Amino acid sequence: MLIPFLNLRIVRRQHETKLSQILPVLLALLAAFIVSAFLVWVSGSDVKVAFIALWEGAFGNTRQITETLNKAAPLILTGLAAAIAFRAKIWNIGAEGQLLSGAIGAYWAITTFPGLPPVAMFIVILLSSFLAGALIGLLSGYLKTKFNVDVIISTVMFNYIITFLLSMLVDTVYRDPESYYKWSPKIPEVAQFPLLLTKYRLHAGIIVAIVVALVIYLLIEKSPVGYEIQAIGHNPTASNFKGINKSKTLLFVMFISGGVAGLAGGGELAGLIHRLRIDFSPGYGFTGIIVAMLAGLNPIWIPLTSLLFGALLTGSLKMQIVAGIPVALVYAIQAIVLLFVITAEFFTLYEIRRD
Amino acid sequence: MLNDLLQATMLVSLFSAMIRIATPVLFAALGELIAERAGVMNLGVEGMMLTGAFVGFIVFDKTDSVLSSVLLAMIAGGMMASIMAFMAVSLKLNQTVVGLGLNLLASGLTFYIYRISYEIEGTLEIPRIETLQNIEIPLLSKIPFLGPILFNQNIMTYIALLLVPVIWFVIYRTRLGLLIRGLGEYPRAVDVKGISVNKYRYLAVVFGGMMAGLGGSFLTIGSSGLFVQEISAGRGWLAIVIVIAGNWQPGRILLATLIFALLDAFQLQIQAVGVQIPYQILLAMPYIFAILVLMGSRAKSIPPGSLGEPYSRE
Repeated sequence: MLIPFLNLRIVRRQHETKLSQILPVLLALLAAFIVSAFLVWVSGSDVKVAFIALWEGAFGNTRQITETLNKAAPLILTGLAAAIAFRAKIWNIGAEGQLLSGAIGAYWAITTFPGLPPVAMFIVILLSSFLAGALIGLLSGYLKTKFNVDVIISTVMFNYIITFLLSMLVDTVYRDPESYYKWSPKIPEVAQFPLLLTKYRLHAGIIVAIVVALVIYLLIEKSPVGYEIQAIGHNPTASNFKGINKSKTLLFVMFISGGVAGLAGGGELAGLIHRLRIDFSPGYGFTGIIVAMLAGLNPIWIPLTSLLFGALLTGSLKMQIVAGIPVALVYAIQAIVLLFVITAEFFTLYEIRRD
Repeated sequence: MLNDLLQATMLVSLFSAMIRIATPVLFAALGELIAERAGVMNLGVEGMMLTGAFVGFIVFDKTDSVLSSVLLAMIAGGMMASIMAFMAVSLKLNQTVVGLGLNLLASGLTFYIYRISYEIEGTLEIPRIETLQNIEIPLLSKIPFLGPILFNQNIMTYIALLLVPVIWFVIYRTRLGLLIRGLGEYPRAVDVKGISVNKYRYLAVVFGGMMAGLGGSFLTIGSSGLFVQEISAGRGWLAIVIVIAGNWQPGRILLATLIFALLDAFQLQIQAVGVQIPYQILLAMPYIFAILVLMGSRAKSIPPGSLGEPYSRE
């Protein structure tokens, strides 16, 4: 296994060191931190000021902590959506589109049944957003099993298609006639998620997300379907012989994965944004993938890694105001974390030697 | 008579736009073709195009030199691709996740650097650069109908079109092409001959990245003159679709690219005429079409035998 041009060889470690699973992740985060500091420095801003602002913006006071939790909620769900699919080596990178689809589905349900009492409304929102996301996921699964269209590509295409669909809806049938902006009218108060604290925007979405995390954990680790998912993930060829119906599992996984991403859309609509708009999601679907990878695709760790990235999103606002660092930096940091994390996982198993 | 003339000019402008629109995707698809023929599924094309678009833009804005901006855009795409190659070929990491990571990196970094470069006191200046001039080829451009469509384009478009037969020749008629095909079909045979599989896979992926960067630079310096966030808008992904739909053959890839470009040119003309369709439906058409194309072609297409599989001797 040669790295060309350098005469380096990659060999499997003789003694698999008892490094815990956490160490490579921490090293990756440290490396990402250093690169981020460099990027801030490049912009000519004071690195220390910027990072202090980032920290304070995320955890500085109660309001900011609640905002961070609000950002973590959709990330937990899109992270779970990625985790369950990736565990089965199904590359669903369409959580963004599935999330938007969930929001559209929930908005449709709310406006179609506006007279429901709060509890029924809450359930209808969860169901409709789950189903709307799940159907898009299922469609990608169906395209794979029936026409052999790669899941990666169809999910990417649906991300674009549904973004345009949302843009069209808020421009036409769902457009708020009272407003200059292209967005829908606000959903009625009965449909809005209850707030957990007075004075702050923290809503029930985070509780929904944590409950779903537990459900997905049980599904993957403790159920027969979870066994099939893991078997396919470990060895797709061998699982054929164990009598696992791969097509059926694929459809099921895409249904659940899309549905969980859809829930994130429903939660954002009912909990925080209260209307459909073009900039509905700041890329939660993509950040969810990074959240899941950082958690080692383990549902139990996903709330924690979501909190980290939620903090990054919230804190970046203050960093922009105080230190003049564009929020776009956060998206670069996310990608750097992802690349470092997958590299770090590699180095727990292998080492590089000179020939 | 006047009506006919009007229709002829409409068609000329439609097909001329098609050729122009095909340019960036054609570069990227031909580059991806080489990478995939060598056995590496590079899903970072989108990010490499975006990087090329940005680097091409910023270099042209600072230097006014087409050559240096195109070259640096290619180098930037190639650098992204070498990260891809290192992680996918050497470390044998999952090619999907690596490609995705690179796309996200490009999306974050380009917009970040764009903001810090052009933001003054919190307001964003939106610079515009001049775009490439069309070069009218003497005599040929006078051919009725075909002339203005094919022979009144800019230099990058000519190069992209010429690249199709060149790539075809390299793949099917040279030793290098044989090697590339060997890497994708049966890398062990290449290894047995004492040729380094990984080295040539690196080169193929980097070539693909350079082509994606070149194609990306066309988006800014060749057509729009502006940089906006996510300017590549899925064209890298379309390039991947086109390689599949074109069944990994240069001629069919050209055909597939032209069909996608025609669709795009058509929706632009519909918008310009002002037909009462929500413009979002028109913009979504290429992506819907991509799924339909794959539904029709995926079952029949034959990918290189070892596509996406890292090579190891053991």
